[in-house]
Amino acid sequence: MTEPLLRIDGLHAGYEGQIVLRDISLDVPEGALITLLGPNGHGKTTLLRCISGLMKPSKGRIEFAGKRIDGLEADKLVARGIVMIPQGDMLFPEMSVYDNLKMGAYLPVARAKFDENVERIYTLLPRLKERTTQLARTLSGGERRMLAIGRGLLSGGRILMFDEPSLGLAPIVIDQIYEVINDLKAQGRTILLVEENADRIIELADRIHLLDTGQIVWAGDGHELDSQQQILETYLGG
Amino acid sequence: MNYFIQIIVSGLTFGAMYALAAVGLALVWGAFNMLNMSHGIIMTLGAYFALLWAEYMGMPLVLAAPFALVCGAVVGVIAYFISAHWMLKQKNFEVTIIIATFGLGMALEAGLLKFLRELFRTAPYSQPLSLGAKSFMVADVPVSYQRLVVWAGAIVLIVLVGLFLSRTTAGRAVRAVAQNRDAARLVGVPVRRIYVMVLALGSGLAAVSGIMLSSFKDVHPLMGGDPMLKAFIVIVLAGLGNITGALYAALLVGMVEAAVKVLIADKYGFAAILILVILALIWKPAGIFGRSTVARQ
Repeated sequence: MTEPLLRIDGLHAGYEGQIVLRDISLDVPEGALITLLGPNGHGKTTLLRCISGLMKPSKGRIEFAGKRIDGLEADKLVARGIVMIPQGDMLFPEMSVYDNLKMGAYLPVARAKFDENVERIYTLLPRLKERTTQLARTLSGGERRMLAIGRGLLSGGRILMFDEPSLGLAPIVIDQIYEVINDLKAQGRTILLVEENADRIIELADRIHLLDTGQIVWAGDGHELDSQQQILETYLGG
Repeated sequence: MNYFIQIIVSGLTFGAMYALAAVGLALVWGAFNMLNMSHGIIMTLGAYFALLWAEYMGMPLVLAAPFALVCGAVVGVIAYFISAHWMLKQKNFEVTIIIATFGLGMALEAGLLKFLRELFRTAPYSQPLSLGAKSFMVADVPVSYQRLVVWAGAIVLIVLVGLFLSRTTAGRAVRAVAQNRDAARLVGVPVRRIYVMVLALGSGLAAVSGIMLSSFKDVHPLMGGDPMLKAFIVIVLAGLGNITGALYAALLVGMVEAAVKVLIADKYGFAAILILVILALIWKPAGIFGRSTVARQ
Protein backbone atom coordinates (compact mmCIF):
# COMPACT_ATOMS: atom_id res chain seq x y z
CA MET A 1 0.00 0.00 0.00
CA THR A 2 1.23 3.48 -0.81
CA GLU A 3 1.88 6.02 1.90
CA PRO A 4 -1.12 8.19 2.74
CA LEU A 5 -0.79 11.88 1.88
CA LEU A 6 -1.57 12.88 5.45
CA ARG A 7 -0.91 10.69 8.47
CA ILE A 8 -1.78 11.57 12.03
CA ASP A 9 -0.32 9.34 14.69
CA GLY A 10 -1.11 9.39 18.40
CA LEU A 11 -1.94 13.08 18.48
CA HIS A 12 -2.75 14.86 21.75
CA ALA A 13 -3.62 18.53 21.99
CA GLY A 14 -5.29 21.00 24.32
CA TYR A 15 -5.56 24.51 25.66
CA GLU A 16 -3.90 25.58 28.89
CA GLY A 17 -3.73 22.22 30.59
CA GLN A 18 -7.10 21.10 29.35
CA ILE A 19 -6.83 18.13 27.02
CA VAL A 20 -9.06 18.42 23.96
CA LEU A 21 -7.72 15.66 21.72
CA ARG A 22 -6.48 12.27 22.94
CA ASP A 23 -4.50 9.81 20.92
CA ILE A 24 -5.93 10.64 17.52
CA SER A 25 -4.66 8.55 14.61
CA LEU A 26 -5.96 8.71 11.08
CA ASP A 27 -4.77 8.49 7.49
CA VAL A 28 -5.86 10.51 4.49
CA PRO A 29 -4.84 8.77 1.23
CA GLU A 30 -4.29 10.84 -1.90
CA GLY A 31 -7.56 11.47 -3.76
CA ALA A 32 -9.80 10.33 -0.91
CA LEU A 33 -12.50 12.18 0.97
CA ILE A 34 -12.12 11.45 4.66
CA THR A 35 -14.49 12.82 7.23
CA LEU A 36 -14.43 13.45 10.91
CA LEU A 37 -17.88 13.42 12.40
CA GLY A 38 -18.80 14.55 15.85
CA PRO A 39 -20.82 16.91 17.97
CA ASN A 40 -19.81 20.51 18.57
CA GLY A 41 -17.07 21.16 21.09
CA HIS A 42 -15.49 17.72 20.88
CA GLY A 43 -12.24 18.75 19.23
CA LYS A 44 -12.90 18.66 15.47
CA THR A 45 -11.76 22.20 14.81
CA THR A 46 -8.84 21.76 17.21
CA LEU A 47 -7.60 18.87 15.07
CA LEU A 48 -7.75 20.98 11.92
CA ARG A 49 -5.95 23.79 13.74
CA CYS A 50 -3.18 21.36 14.67
CA ILE A 51 -2.80 20.08 11.12
CA SER A 52 -2.80 23.55 9.60
CA GLY A 53 -0.22 24.85 12.09
CA LEU A 54 -2.39 27.35 13.95
CA MET A 55 -1.85 25.29 17.07
CA LYS A 56 0.92 23.01 18.32
CA PRO A 57 -0.01 19.50 19.41
CA SER A 58 1.27 18.44 22.82
CA LYS A 59 2.14 14.88 21.74
CA GLY A 60 2.15 12.70 18.66
CA ARG A 61 3.17 13.30 15.07
CA ILE A 62 1.67 14.59 11.84
CA GLU A 63 3.22 13.61 8.53
CA PHE A 64 2.42 15.13 5.18
CA ALA A 65 3.74 13.65 1.95
CA GLY A 66 6.16 11.52 3.99
CA LYS A 67 7.61 14.41 6.00
CA ARG A 68 6.98 15.32 9.61
CA ILE A 69 5.17 18.66 9.85
CA ASP A 70 3.82 19.06 13.37
CA GLY A 71 5.16 22.22 15.00
CA LEU A 72 5.74 24.05 11.71
CA GLU A 73 4.20 27.51 11.28
CA ALA A 74 0.92 27.79 9.35
CA ASP A 75 2.37 29.89 6.53
CA LYS A 76 5.04 27.24 5.86
CA LEU A 77 2.39 24.55 5.69
CA VAL A 78 0.29 26.42 3.13
CA ALA A 79 3.36 26.54 0.94
CA ARG A 80 3.62 22.74 1.23
CA GLY A 81 0.03 22.32 0.12
CA ILE A 82 -2.09 22.12 3.26
CA VAL A 83 -5.09 24.38 2.82
CA MET A 84 -7.69 24.87 5.51
CA ILE A 85 -11.07 26.23 4.56
CA PRO A 86 -12.28 27.72 7.80
CA GLN A 87 -15.74 28.71 8.90
CA GLY A 88 -17.00 32.06 7.67
CA ASP A 89 -15.46 33.99 10.56
CA MET A 90 -11.94 33.69 9.18
CA LEU A 91 -12.21 36.17 6.33
CA PHE A 92 -10.74 39.64 5.99
CA PRO A 93 -13.86 41.63 6.87
CA GLU A 94 -12.76 45.06 5.63
CA MET A 95 -11.57 43.81 2.26
CA SER A 96 -13.64 43.33 -0.85
CA VAL A 97 -14.58 39.87 -2.06
CA TYR A 98 -12.01 40.26 -4.83
CA ASP A 99 -9.23 41.24 -2.42
CA ASN A 100 -10.11 38.32 -0.18
CA LEU A 101 -9.78 36.00 -3.15
CA LYS A 102 -6.53 37.67 -4.10
CA MET A 103 -5.22 37.00 -0.60
CA GLY A 104 -5.97 33.32 -1.19
CA ALA A 105 -3.39 33.46 -3.97
CA TYR A 106 -0.82 35.17 -1.75
CA LEU A 107 1.98 32.68 -2.34
CA PRO A 108 3.96 33.29 -5.55
CA VAL A 109 2.99 29.98 -7.18
CA ALA A 110 -0.71 30.65 -6.70
CA ARG A 111 -0.36 34.36 -7.58
CA ALA A 112 1.05 33.53 -11.00
CA LYS A 113 -2.11 31.60 -11.88
CA PHE A 114 -4.58 33.91 -10.14
CA ASP A 115 -6.28 35.48 -13.19
CA GLU A 116 -6.93 32.12 -14.76
CA ASN A 117 -8.01 30.42 -11.53
CA VAL A 118 -10.31 33.18 -10.32
CA GLU A 119 -12.46 32.75 -13.42
CA ARG A 120 -12.83 29.10 -12.56
CA ILE A 121 -13.87 30.04 -9.03
CA TYR A 122 -16.49 32.43 -10.43
CA THR A 123 -17.92 29.63 -12.53
CA LEU A 124 -17.99 27.31 -9.55
CA LEU A 125 -19.38 29.95 -7.16
CA PRO A 126 -21.23 32.47 -9.35
CA ARG A 127 -22.50 34.37 -6.32
CA LEU A 128 -18.97 35.62 -5.65
CA LYS A 129 -18.79 37.16 -9.09
CA GLU A 130 -21.88 39.24 -8.38
CA ARG A 131 -20.29 40.46 -5.16
CA THR A 132 -16.69 41.18 -6.20
CA THR A 133 -16.54 44.75 -4.94
CA GLN A 134 -18.57 44.20 -1.79
CA LEU A 135 -16.82 44.15 1.59
CA ALA A 136 -16.63 40.68 3.11
CA ARG A 137 -18.31 41.82 6.35
CA THR A 138 -21.45 42.74 4.45
CA LEU A 139 -21.96 39.23 3.01
CA SER A 140 -24.55 36.76 4.25
CA GLY A 141 -23.48 33.64 6.15
CA GLY A 142 -23.72 31.45 3.07
CA GLU A 143 -21.81 33.90 0.90
CA ARG A 144 -19.06 34.10 3.52
CA ARG A 145 -18.70 30.35 3.49
CA MET A 146 -18.51 30.41 -0.29
CA LEU A 147 -15.86 33.12 -0.12
CA ALA A 148 -13.86 31.03 2.34
CA ILE A 149 -14.09 28.10 -0.07
CA GLY A 150 -13.11 30.22 -3.07
CA ARG A 151 -10.18 31.72 -1.20
CA GLY A 152 -9.00 28.28 -0.09
CA LEU A 153 -9.25 26.85 -3.61
CA LEU A 154 -7.14 29.71 -4.96
CA SER A 155 -4.32 28.72 -2.62
CA GLY A 156 -3.92 25.58 -4.70
CA GLY A 157 -2.96 22.96 -2.18
CA ARG A 158 -2.70 19.19 -2.22
CA ILE A 159 -5.18 18.67 0.56
CA LEU A 160 -8.28 20.71 1.34
CA MET A 161 -9.56 20.67 4.89
CA PHE A 162 -13.12 21.88 5.33
CA ASP A 163 -14.21 23.01 8.78
CA GLU A 164 -17.95 22.37 9.16
CA PRO A 165 -19.02 23.71 5.79
CA SER A 166 -22.71 23.41 6.64
CA LEU A 167 -22.73 24.93 10.12
CA GLY A 168 -25.51 27.44 10.62
CA LEU A 169 -26.60 27.60 6.98
CA ALA A 170 -29.96 27.22 5.28
CA PRO A 171 -30.54 23.81 3.65
CA ILE A 172 -30.52 25.27 0.15
CA VAL A 173 -27.11 26.87 0.76
CA ILE A 174 -25.80 23.62 2.25
CA ASP A 175 -26.89 21.88 -0.97
CA GLN A 176 -24.88 24.34 -3.04
CA ILE A 177 -21.81 23.94 -0.89
CA TYR A 178 -21.96 20.16 -0.98
CA GLU A 179 -22.33 20.32 -4.74
CA VAL A 180 -18.99 22.11 -4.83
CA ILE A 181 -17.40 19.54 -2.52
CA ASN A 182 -18.81 16.80 -4.74
CA ASP A 183 -17.24 18.43 -7.79
CA LEU A 184 -13.90 18.66 -6.03
CA LYS A 185 -14.07 15.01 -5.11
CA ALA A 186 -14.89 14.11 -8.70
CA GLN A 187 -11.80 16.04 -9.78
CA GLY A 188 -9.74 13.77 -7.56
CA ARG A 189 -8.85 16.34 -4.92
CA THR A 190 -7.83 15.04 -1.50
CA ILE A 191 -10.27 16.27 1.13
CA LEU A 192 -10.49 16.10 4.91
CA LEU A 193 -13.93 17.18 5.97
CA VAL A 194 -15.13 17.93 9.47
CA GLU A 195 -18.89 17.80 10.02
CA GLU A 196 -21.48 17.64 12.70
CA ASN A 197 -24.26 16.46 10.47
CA ALA A 198 -24.06 12.83 9.27
CA ASP A 199 -26.73 13.07 6.54
CA ARG A 200 -24.64 14.89 4.01
CA ILE A 201 -21.55 12.75 4.21
CA ILE A 202 -22.73 9.18 4.46
CA GLU A 203 -22.85 8.85 0.68
CA LEU A 204 -19.90 11.08 -0.03
CA ALA A 205 -17.14 9.95 2.31
CA ASP A 206 -14.64 7.21 1.61
CA ARG A 207 -14.14 6.80 5.32
CA ILE A 208 -15.80 8.30 8.37
CA HIS A 209 -14.21 8.78 11.78
CA LEU A 210 -16.44 9.45 14.72
CA LEU A 211 -14.99 11.84 17.28
CA ASP A 212 -16.35 11.93 20.80
CA THR A 213 -14.85 13.91 23.71
CA GLY A 214 -11.57 14.16 21.87
CA GLN A 215 -11.19 10.52 20.89
CA ILE A 216 -11.95 8.56 17.76
CA VAL A 217 -14.55 6.06 18.92
CA TRP A 218 -15.47 4.49 15.63
CA ALA A 219 -14.27 4.39 12.02
CA GLY A 220 -15.75 2.89 8.91
CA ASP A 221 -17.50 3.81 5.68
CA GLY A 222 -20.86 5.46 5.25
CA HIS A 223 -22.87 2.29 4.74
CA GLU A 224 -21.49 0.72 7.89
CA LEU A 225 -22.41 3.84 9.81
CA ASP A 226 -25.88 3.85 8.32
CA SER A 227 -26.46 0.29 9.40
CA GLN A 228 -25.36 0.98 12.94
CA GLN A 229 -28.15 3.21 14.11
CA GLN A 230 -27.08 2.74 17.69
CA ILE A 231 -23.77 4.52 17.05
CA LEU A 232 -25.51 7.41 15.43
CA GLU A 233 -27.98 7.70 18.27
CA THR A 234 -25.36 7.44 20.99
CA TYR A 235 -22.95 9.97 19.58
CA LEU A 236 -24.95 12.23 17.38
CA GLY A 237 -28.36 12.07 18.93
CA GLY A 238 -29.96 10.32 15.98
CA MET B 1 -10.59 87.20 8.24
CA ASN B 2 -6.89 87.33 9.01
CA TYR B 3 -7.36 85.26 12.12
CA PHE B 4 -9.24 82.75 10.09
CA ILE B 5 -6.47 82.38 7.54
CA GLN B 6 -3.86 82.26 10.26
CA ILE B 7 -5.76 79.42 11.96
CA ILE B 8 -6.11 77.49 8.71
CA VAL B 9 -2.43 77.90 7.86
CA SER B 10 -1.04 76.81 11.19
CA GLY B 11 -3.80 74.24 11.71
CA LEU B 12 -2.87 72.57 8.44
CA THR B 13 0.79 72.58 9.40
CA PHE B 14 0.23 71.04 12.82
CA GLY B 15 -2.25 68.63 11.26
CA ALA B 16 0.20 67.52 8.59
CA MET B 17 2.92 66.77 11.11
CA TYR B 18 0.60 64.98 13.52
CA ALA B 19 -0.88 63.00 10.66
CA LEU B 20 2.46 61.69 9.54
CA ALA B 21 3.45 60.71 13.06
CA ALA B 22 0.01 59.23 13.77
CA VAL B 23 -0.12 57.16 10.58
CA GLY B 24 3.06 55.38 11.63
CA LEU B 25 1.67 54.70 15.09
CA ALA B 26 -1.73 53.60 13.79
CA LEU B 27 -0.17 51.20 11.28
CA VAL B 28 1.83 49.44 13.98
CA TRP B 29 -1.10 49.29 16.38
CA GLY B 30 -3.41 48.05 13.62
CA ALA B 31 -1.07 45.28 12.55
CA PHE B 32 -0.26 43.79 15.92
CA ASN B 33 -1.66 45.83 18.78
CA MET B 34 1.67 47.35 19.64
CA LEU B 35 1.59 50.88 21.01
CA ASN B 36 5.12 51.94 20.23
CA MET B 37 6.23 54.34 22.95
CA SER B 38 9.62 54.77 21.31
CA HIS B 39 7.94 56.44 18.31
CA GLY B 40 8.79 59.91 19.67
CA ILE B 41 12.48 59.26 20.06
CA ILE B 42 12.55 57.83 16.53
CA MET B 43 11.12 61.16 15.36
CA THR B 44 13.95 62.90 17.18
CA LEU B 45 16.45 60.50 15.66
CA GLY B 46 15.08 61.32 12.21
CA ALA B 47 15.97 64.95 12.71
CA TYR B 48 19.42 63.99 13.95
CA PHE B 49 20.01 61.59 11.05
CA ALA B 50 19.25 64.38 8.60
CA LEU B 51 21.54 66.72 10.49
CA LEU B 52 24.37 64.17 10.51
CA TRP B 53 23.93 63.48 6.83
CA ALA B 54 23.85 67.07 5.70
CA GLU B 55 26.12 68.89 8.10
CA TYR B 56 28.60 66.34 9.32
CA MET B 57 28.87 64.09 6.30
CA GLY B 58 28.47 66.90 3.82
CA MET B 59 26.01 64.97 1.68
CA PRO B 60 23.40 66.63 -0.56
CA LEU B 61 20.46 68.05 1.38
CA VAL B 62 17.84 66.67 -0.97
CA LEU B 63 18.79 63.13 -0.05
CA ALA B 64 18.70 63.71 3.69
CA ALA B 65 15.01 62.85 4.00
CA PRO B 66 15.34 59.48 2.25
CA PHE B 67 18.46 58.81 4.33
CA ALA B 68 16.57 59.53 7.54
CA LEU B 69 13.66 57.39 6.33
CA VAL B 70 15.96 54.42 5.83
CA CYS B 71 17.75 54.97 9.15
CA GLY B 72 14.41 55.31 10.94
CA ALA B 73 13.30 52.02 9.37
CA VAL B 74 16.48 50.33 10.57
CA VAL B 75 15.90 51.64 14.10
CA GLY B 76 12.34 50.26 13.87
CA VAL B 77 13.65 46.83 12.92
CA ILE B 78 16.16 46.88 15.77
CA ALA B 79 13.42 47.99 18.17
CA TYR B 80 11.32 45.02 17.01
CA PHE B 81 14.08 42.52 17.65
CA ILE B 82 14.99 43.80 21.07
CA SER B 83 11.42 44.09 22.30
CA ALA B 84 8.33 42.82 20.48
CA HIS B 85 9.88 39.72 18.94
CA TRP B 86 10.38 38.08 22.34
CA MET B 87 7.10 39.22 23.80
CA LEU B 88 4.52 38.49 21.10
CA LYS B 89 3.35 35.25 22.70
CA GLN B 90 2.82 36.84 26.09
CA LYS B 91 -0.71 37.04 27.34
CA ASN B 92 -0.63 40.76 28.12
CA PHE B 93 1.42 41.77 25.11
CA GLU B 94 -0.53 44.99 24.61
CA VAL B 95 0.44 46.19 28.09
CA THR B 96 3.96 44.81 28.41
CA ILE B 97 5.03 46.16 25.03
CA ILE B 98 4.04 49.68 26.11
CA ILE B 99 6.36 49.40 29.10
CA ALA B 100 9.14 47.79 27.06
CA THR B 101 9.08 50.40 24.29
CA PHE B 102 8.76 53.17 26.86
CA GLY B 103 11.97 51.87 28.44
CA LEU B 104 13.62 51.61 25.06
CA GLY B 105 12.63 55.19 24.27
CA MET B 106 14.04 56.43 27.59
CA ALA B 107 17.31 54.59 27.01
CA LEU B 108 17.68 56.10 23.55
CA GLU B 109 16.80 59.53 24.85
CA ALA B 110 19.36 59.22 27.65
CA GLY B 111 21.94 58.13 25.07
CA LEU B 112 21.21 61.18 22.93
CA LEU B 113 21.37 63.50 25.94
CA LYS B 114 24.67 62.00 26.99
CA PHE B 115 26.46 61.91 23.67
CA LEU B 116 24.87 64.42 21.35
CA ARG B 117 23.79 67.30 23.50
CA GLU B 118 27.06 69.17 23.08
CA LEU B 119 27.32 68.31 19.44
CA PHE B 120 24.00 69.81 18.42
CA ARG B 121 23.34 72.56 20.87
CA THR B 122 23.15 75.11 18.07
CA ALA B 123 19.58 74.90 16.90
CA PRO B 124 17.39 75.43 14.95
CA TYR B 125 19.50 74.58 12.02
CA SER B 126 19.05 74.91 8.30
CA GLN B 127 17.70 71.43 7.78
CA PRO B 128 17.21 69.54 4.52
CA LEU B 129 13.64 70.54 3.83
CA SER B 130 14.34 74.11 4.80
CA LEU B 131 13.54 76.98 2.49
CA GLY B 132 14.61 79.66 4.91
CA ALA B 133 12.32 82.42 6.07
CA LYS B 134 10.90 83.40 2.66
CA SER B 135 7.16 83.66 2.51
CA PHE B 136 4.22 84.82 0.42
CA MET B 137 1.07 86.63 1.44
CA VAL B 138 -2.48 85.28 1.63
CA ALA B 139 -4.77 88.21 2.43
CA ASP B 140 -2.54 89.95 4.99
CA VAL B 141 -1.10 86.78 6.45
CA PRO B 142 2.46 85.74 5.58
CA VAL B 143 2.71 82.03 4.71
CA SER B 144 6.24 80.70 4.59
CA TYR B 145 7.24 78.46 1.72
CA GLN B 146 8.45 76.11 4.40
CA ARG B 147 4.85 75.31 5.26
CA LEU B 148 4.16 74.34 1.68
CA VAL B 149 7.05 71.88 1.85
CA VAL B 150 5.64 70.34 5.02
CA TRP B 151 2.14 70.04 3.52
CA ALA B 152 3.40 68.59 0.28
CA GLY B 153 5.74 66.19 2.07
CA ALA B 154 2.95 64.91 4.32
CA ILE B 155 0.50 64.53 1.44
CA VAL B 156 2.99 62.69 -0.77
CA LEU B 157 4.05 60.30 1.97
CA ILE B 158 0.50 59.57 3.10
CA VAL B 159 -0.65 58.96 -0.47
CA LEU B 160 2.31 56.62 -0.96
CA VAL B 161 1.42 54.71 2.20
CA GLY B 162 -2.19 54.50 1.02
CA LEU B 163 -1.15 53.17 -2.38
CA PHE B 164 1.20 50.69 -0.75
CA LEU B 165 -1.59 49.35 1.48
CA SER B 166 -4.23 49.15 -1.22
CA ARG B 167 -2.32 48.23 -4.36
CA THR B 168 0.64 46.03 -3.48
CA THR B 169 0.74 42.41 -2.41
CA ALA B 170 2.77 43.30 0.68
CA GLY B 171 0.35 46.09 1.58
CA ARG B 172 -2.62 43.78 1.19
CA ALA B 173 -0.84 41.31 3.48
CA VAL B 174 -0.45 44.06 6.11
CA ARG B 175 -4.18 44.75 5.98
CA ALA B 176 -4.92 41.02 6.11
CA VAL B 177 -2.80 40.60 9.24
CA ALA B 178 -4.49 43.60 10.85
CA GLN B 179 -7.97 42.23 10.10
CA ASN B 180 -7.51 38.59 11.00
CA ARG B 181 -4.14 37.22 12.00
CA ASP B 182 -5.01 33.52 11.87
CA ALA B 183 -6.76 33.87 8.52
CA ALA B 184 -3.65 35.61 7.17
CA ARG B 185 -1.46 32.74 8.33
CA LEU B 186 -3.83 30.28 6.66
CA VAL B 187 -3.23 31.84 3.26
CA GLY B 188 0.52 31.78 3.75
CA VAL B 189 1.35 35.27 5.06
CA PRO B 190 4.53 35.13 7.19
CA VAL B 191 3.00 37.18 9.98
CA ARG B 192 6.17 37.99 11.89
CA ARG B 193 7.90 39.27 8.79
CA ILE B 194 4.91 41.56 8.27
CA TYR B 195 5.31 42.88 11.83
CA VAL B 196 8.95 43.74 11.15
CA MET B 197 8.01 45.43 7.89
CA VAL B 198 5.24 47.48 9.50
CA LEU B 199 7.46 48.64 12.34
CA ALA B 200 10.14 49.59 9.81
CA LEU B 201 7.60 51.57 7.78
CA GLY B 202 6.06 53.25 10.83
CA SER B 203 9.47 54.22 12.16
CA GLY B 204 10.63 55.49 8.78
CA LEU B 205 7.57 57.76 8.68
CA ALA B 206 8.32 58.89 12.23
CA ALA B 207 11.85 59.84 11.17
CA VAL B 208 10.58 61.93 8.27
CA SER B 209 8.01 63.66 10.44
CA GLY B 210 10.90 64.41 12.82
CA ILE B 211 12.66 66.26 10.00
CA MET B 212 9.54 68.27 9.29
CA LEU B 213 9.24 69.09 12.92
CA SER B 214 12.81 70.31 13.00
CA SER B 215 11.98 72.87 10.36
CA PHE B 216 9.91 74.71 12.98
CA LYS B 217 11.48 73.70 16.26
CA ASP B 218 14.91 73.25 17.76
CA VAL B 219 16.70 69.99 17.30
CA HIS B 220 17.31 68.54 20.72
CA PRO B 221 17.03 65.09 22.31
CA LEU B 222 13.60 65.71 23.81
CA MET B 223 11.96 67.26 20.74
CA GLY B 224 9.94 64.12 19.85
CA GLY B 225 8.11 63.86 23.17
CA ASP B 226 5.42 66.44 22.62
CA PRO B 227 4.50 65.51 19.03
CA MET B 228 4.37 61.82 19.99
CA LEU B 229 1.88 62.66 22.70
CA LYS B 230 -0.20 64.52 20.11
CA ALA B 231 0.06 61.57 17.73
CA PHE B 232 -1.23 59.30 20.49
CA ILE B 233 -4.11 61.64 21.11
CA VAL B 234 -4.85 61.61 17.39
CA ILE B 235 -5.01 57.82 17.11
CA VAL B 236 -7.08 57.44 20.27
CA LEU B 237 -9.44 60.13 19.02
CA ALA B 238 -9.73 58.43 15.63
CA GLY B 239 -10.17 54.93 17.01
CA LEU B 240 -7.02 52.83 17.43
CA GLY B 241 -5.64 51.39 14.23
CA ASN B 242 -7.92 53.38 11.93
CA ILE B 243 -5.55 55.02 9.46
CA THR B 244 -7.97 57.11 7.42
CA GLY B 245 -9.62 58.21 10.63
CA ALA B 246 -6.21 59.24 11.97
CA LEU B 247 -5.78 61.65 9.05
CA TYR B 248 -9.05 63.44 9.81
CA ALA B 249 -8.38 63.41 13.53
CA ALA B 250 -4.88 64.86 12.96
CA LEU B 251 -6.37 67.75 10.99
CA LEU B 252 -9.03 68.29 13.64
CA VAL B 253 -6.47 68.32 16.45
CA GLY B 254 -4.20 70.62 14.44
CA MET B 255 -7.06 73.05 13.73
CA VAL B 256 -8.33 73.13 17.32
CA GLU B 257 -4.81 73.69 18.60
CA ALA B 258 -4.21 76.48 16.09
CA ALA B 259 -7.58 78.13 16.80
CA VAL B 260 -7.01 78.21 20.54
CA LYS B 261 -3.44 79.46 20.11
CA VAL B 262 -4.48 82.24 17.77
CA LEU B 263 -7.72 83.30 19.47
CA ILE B 264 -6.99 82.74 23.14
CA ALA B 265 -3.39 82.05 24.13
CA ASP B 266 -0.52 79.75 23.23
CA LYS B 267 -0.51 77.98 26.56
CA TYR B 268 -4.10 76.77 26.27
CA GLY B 269 -3.56 74.89 23.02
CA PHE B 270 -2.74 71.57 24.61
CA ALA B 271 -5.45 71.84 27.23
CA ALA B 272 -7.98 72.44 24.46
CA ILE B 273 -6.89 69.26 22.68
CA LEU B 274 -7.27 67.25 25.87
CA ILE B 275 -10.77 68.62 26.43
CA LEU B 276 -11.62 67.73 22.86
CA VAL B 277 -10.46 64.14 23.41
CA ILE B 278 -12.33 63.76 26.67
CA LEU B 279 -15.57 64.99 25.10
CA ALA B 280 -15.08 62.83 22.01
CA LEU B 281 -14.44 59.70 24.05
CA ILE B 282 -17.47 60.29 26.26
CA TRP B 283 -19.52 60.58 23.10
CA LYS B 284 -17.85 57.66 21.26
CA PRO B 285 -15.73 55.44 23.52
CA ALA B 286 -14.14 53.54 20.61
CA GLY B 287 -12.98 56.76 18.95
CA ILE B 288 -14.74 58.96 16.41
CA PHE B 289 -14.15 56.52 13.57
CA GLY B 290 -13.96 53.36 15.69
CA ARG B 291 -16.53 50.77 14.80
CA SER B 292 -16.61 48.60 17.88
CA THR B 293 -17.92 49.81 21.19
CA VAL B 294 -15.93 49.36 24.33
CA ALA B 295 -17.73 47.74 27.21
CA ARG B 296 -16.36 47.87 30.70
CA GLN B 297 -16.08 44.42 32.25
